[in-house]
Amino acid sequence: MNTNTLIKMENITKRFGTVLANKNINFSVKQGEIHALLGENGAGKSTLMNMLSGIYTPDSGSIFIRDQKVRLSSPRHAIAAGIGMIHQHFKLVEALSAKENVIAGEKKQFFLHSKKLSARIKEISQSFGLELDPDKKIYTMSVGEKQTVEILKVLYRGADILILDEPTAVLTAQETVQLFSILRKMKNAGCGVIIITHKLHEVMEVSDRVTVLRKGETVATVCTKETTPKALTDLMVGRSVDLSIQRIETTHKQSILEIKEVTVVDEEKVKVLNNVSFTLRTGEILGVAGVAGSGQKALCEAIAGLQKVNSGKIIYEEEDIVGKTPKEIIQKGISMSFIPEDRLGMGLVASMDMVDNLILKEYQNQKGFVLDRKPAQKKAEHLIHKLNIQTPGIHHPVRQLSGGNIQKVLLGREIDLNPRVLITVYPVRGLDVGSSYMIYDLLNEQKMLGVAILYVGEDLDVLLELCDRILVLCDGRVTGIVEAHSTNKEQLGFMMAGEEQWEQEVEVVD
Amino acid sequence: MKKVISKLLVGVLAVSMMVSGCSTAKKLANVDSNAPVAKEEMKVGFIYVGPIGDGGWTYAHNEARLYVEEQLGVQTFYKESVPEGPEVEKVLKDMIDQGANVIFATSFGYMDYVEKVAKQYPHIKFLHCSGYKTADNMSNYFGRMYQARYLSGIVAGMKTQSDTIGYVAAFEIPEVIRGINAFTLGVRSVNPDAKVVVRWTHTWYDPAKEKEAAKALLDEGADVIAQHQDTAGPQQAAEERGVWSVGYNTDMQATAPQAYMTAPIWNWGPYYAQQVQAVMEGTWKSESYWGSMNEEIVRLAPLTAIAPEGSKEKVAEMEGKIKDNSFTVFQGPIKDQNGEVKVEEGQQMTDGEMLSFDWFVEGVVGKIEK
Amino acid sequence: MIRLIKKADISQSQIMTIRIMAVFLSLFTAGVFILFLGHNPFSVYGSMMSGSFGSLYRLQETILKTIPLLITSLGIAVAFRMKFWNIGAEGQICMGAFCASFFALHFSELPSLILLPIMMVAGIVGGGVWALIPGVFKAYFGTNETLFTLMMNYIALKWITYLQYGPWKDPDALGFPKIKNFSESAILPNIFGIHIGWIIALLLVAIMHFFIHYTKKGYEITVVGESENTARYAGMDVKKVVLIGLLISGGLCGITGMIQASAISNTLSVEVSGGVGFTAIITTWLSGLSAPMIVLISFLFAILVQGGSFIQTAFQIPQSAAQMLQGVILFFVLGSEFFIQYQVIFPWNQYMQKEEN
Repeated sequence: MNTNTLIKMENITKRFGTVLANKNINFSVKQGEIHALLGENGAGKSTLMNMLSGIYTPDSGSIFIRDQKVRLSSPRHAIAAGIGMIHQHFKLVEALSAKENVIAGEKKQFFLHSKKLSARIKEISQSFGLELDPDKKIYTMSVGEKQTVEILKVLYRGADILILDEPTAVLTAQETVQLFSILRKMKNAGCGVIIITHKLHEVMEVSDRVTVLRKGETVATVCTKETTPKALTDLMVGRSVDLSIQRIETTHKQSILEIKEVTVVDEEKVKVLNNVSFTLRTGEILGVAGVAGSGQKALCEAIAGLQKVNSGKIIYEEEDIVGKTPKEIIQKGISMSFIPEDRLGMGLVASMDMVDNLILKEYQNQKGFVLDRKPAQKKAEHLIHKLNIQTPGIHHPVRQLSGGNIQKVLLGREIDLNPRVLITVYPVRGLDVGSSYMIYDLLNEQKMLGVAILYVGEDLDVLLELCDRILVLCDGRVTGIVEAHSTNKEQLGFMMAGEEQWEQEVEVVD
Repeated sequence: MKKVISKLLVGVLAVSMMVSGCSTAKKLANVDSNAPVAKEEMKVGFIYVGPIGDGGWTYAHNEARLYVEEQLGVQTFYKESVPEGPEVEKVLKDMIDQGANVIFATSFGYMDYVEKVAKQYPHIKFLHCSGYKTADNMSNYFGRMYQARYLSGIVAGMKTQSDTIGYVAAFEIPEVIRGINAFTLGVRSVNPDAKVVVRWTHTWYDPAKEKEAAKALLDEGADVIAQHQDTAGPQQAAEERGVWSVGYNTDMQATAPQAYMTAPIWNWGPYYAQQVQAVMEGTWKSESYWGSMNEEIVRLAPLTAIAPEGSKEKVAEMEGKIKDNSFTVFQGPIKDQNGEVKVEEGQQMTDGEMLSFDWFVEGVVGKIEK
Repeated sequence: MIRLIKKADISQSQIMTIRIMAVFLSLFTAGVFILFLGHNPFSVYGSMMSGSFGSLYRLQETILKTIPLLITSLGIAVAFRMKFWNIGAEGQICMGAFCASFFALHFSELPSLILLPIMMVAGIVGGGVWALIPGVFKAYFGTNETLFTLMMNYIALKWITYLQYGPWKDPDALGFPKIKNFSESAILPNIFGIHIGWIIALLLVAIMHFFIHYTKKGYEITVVGESENTARYAGMDVKKVVLIGLLISGGLCGITGMIQASAISNTLSVEVSGGVGFTAIITTWLSGLSAPMIVLISFLFAILVQGGSFIQTAFQIPQSAAQMLQGVILFFVLGSEFFIQYQVIFPWNQYMQKEEN
């Protein structure tokens, strides 16, 4: 056997109830390579990686680490075998420092050998180019720094196989560049890196080989140099896919929603929105760019009436809607649809079926005491047909649907209300390529109908292609509003980091 | 599946209830309530307020139950720890359902429930202990415990050095008040300066609470503890503090060997056996029975070595007087707590007066909530 | 070290297998215990059954035990559906009984047809308000409802104790602390040998099932329970929904109080709820908050209670031992819920096994 091979997974099969999540999957990682794992939602990527990190055990098949057959029945064993996984959601103790987080969970020693520890952390940091102050508290850190702590934690425990689950989803462009440089250093040091992502350009940029999964099976493992994004997408989806996003030109643009000097202060007295002003027009998609936590959530919730506004006005068709309850905003015929970031936590009721989720926004318009489900049942069937939603039936809990289908249910419900303003927050987060394009198409369709769309996104490439204008938020301030066709990622990146130099130019363009 | 089961169940419930409704009335009619009962068909039920192992009230009743079994060879059964609430009605009915034809209900608070069930089951005999209600098929029975209490008061009165005697008492009902008064009269017959301090627990059976009450009394300066409770908790308190005690219900020497002097005790066995016998023979009649020391239903337990010198002789003397009726305990002059004469010299309290006692005699420190 | 892993997925048949195993294990363990007491387990179990069904009287008694459990569980289920952990059913029963008793004692001359409905409404108001108080505190001050409702139980119980020993003490009882018995007109009538509470209970099951699943308010309650954020997002007034839900929850418990005081005790006493408020938490939970399942589970529970009481007299098993038997059975059944959710990994399966190749 090739001594160069770090990990070899052979004929791995995993079944959950009646669902076959992984079927005879073969997968290997060599020493000193960055291996991208690609696939649509539900293709089995996470299941496969969870087996590698000891969270699940395979029903059949074998895992070899450095040619030795192992049985990983807990995360502890995986760590012992040198495998570390960085999850999408960080598992850090906010009140502790980076250093303390690194050793949390280590039981071998009772006392902290603080100096030794600092030295060791410094050593690791230097060799992989991690920039980190070991004594900085987690709650003061940016998302990128937190991720660095997670990586450090794994490395400190001696991992030489690193699994990253969509690591760039929460990072700015600059932070992504930094992360990739760390990964490259690890690769050069002889580690194996597995990266799960949906972003094809990142796959092309950073990986050496790509394994594509589809419906729980391995479709192909290819060298990155020998493939193209188009080819990878086709492999993933199983058919030929058009990768360009259309920007449809519309003519009848009218101001419909005016945000005037809105300031929102949160419970910790932090200004999450600071004097924000902009205008949203019909028949356009206004993109909102910004590092996660720059005020996107507060902005959208303020418009939807879910967030208390401390000062400023939100004018919808000459009426200030600040201070109105969500019910009033929904019922007053303002027909504003808000598709929150937190789909199952806010937009939908996870355990309820499609029908009950579809009534959510309109049951209050029903007369009387009794709930009438008939119209919603019809609508559910209509949506399943129209949006090609994959579900066993209209009475199936939405929680059990895949991410893309959940998003379709949510978007479908909101669009069906015939809104004049549509607010969507990260609508394609976690969705695979096919589903994402379906969502872009739906948004473009609405735009053509004259709907004003506020699109909070994270992928700058998509923002640049899809939106008409892009508003950039940084720490609750608007650092610029630019025409999408006359800007680029670097400009956006600078504004996201707080540079306001583009504002002047923008006003001229506008 | 689940839904089907639950729907079925609802159906079954409804149908069975309709069926059951039709038949209850018939069963009860036309039973000659005084026909003799064969030994094999006798089943005697006992309802207890505490567990049979309480070492006190319930224990004494259960001893009597065993006595009945032994003497008459009839079947008996019991249910212990039945609270004085709606549960009683259910337990009575359960016992009837299981074939009981005589039921002894052995706590004051059972009275109303016994009365209610007795009306519904005229062919069943009910004997209620310590109450005052009767019906054609319901007797009440009790013993003149105040006689033995008076005697135990003599022992306590001669023993106390602080002239303060603590009395742990359950409820402010005539039975308990009468006991306290008799005890106090006994105490003051030998020690006119002594006082009896009363503390209410509002429970018949709660060893910990009773013990706590006794401790509080000891803290107030008492050096002898007496009790009207179902457990030996107060005895233990006296034992732990190295002072003296007078028990109740049964001989409690084993519980507090260093403290216990004597106890007014119950001896229900002969009465129970006689009543059950009467039912078997078809001669049973409802009555209000209030047995005295002459019938041996109440006694004073033998005095231990800790009992004060001379007390044995004094007790024997007074016991003789009580038994030959030359002394009736509640005979004048008796003053109440305010020093007012309630019973004139030469007068005696009637049974009726004693059964509705609601005031304390002179020498009692305590209050009766009304 | 033994470790626990949350089960990702479990099929209905596995769940049923675990539950059935739990029942058998509990019967087995309790059987060993019975053997130690010197009885034959099979005849004890047999007589538990016969004690619950063996005669019409026994069946009636079992149903009498079912009624309060059933109605209280329905009430608790409404609160639990909103993830409002109402541990205060005991107190709500007491306050319902108290308010009903107030009218029963002070307006005893009224005819049944007027007095009983008044008592019922009073019971609902009493229980509902008692549940509403912790609800208001939770909604406006964020207090912990579990502790709050628990403490409210004691206040209610002590209030009844106070009435029983103080102002409401029956002067005719010669000092014995009891409240006067209700007049005939304040006592629920019997239908087919059982007080009318069984009809009320079955009606309430139907009403609550319909309410939760087919009305707008029921829908709101469900949404609030699943996610308050979603409820706010959908424009619901979350506080209002919670408070209405609690009024219903406590109101149902109050009905239990009214029925128990009127039909069972014929008066008010500290024994009025007899622990039903706590037992019903278990039945509610086991029935998965579904109204039809509550009927089944409450009935099964009543069998356990009635059968347990029967064997005490039939076999002269001490009360504490009979209660232990019930406890053992409950322990296994509740314990099985744990195994439905978690998987236990024993040390011998735990280490990374290097298999020869």
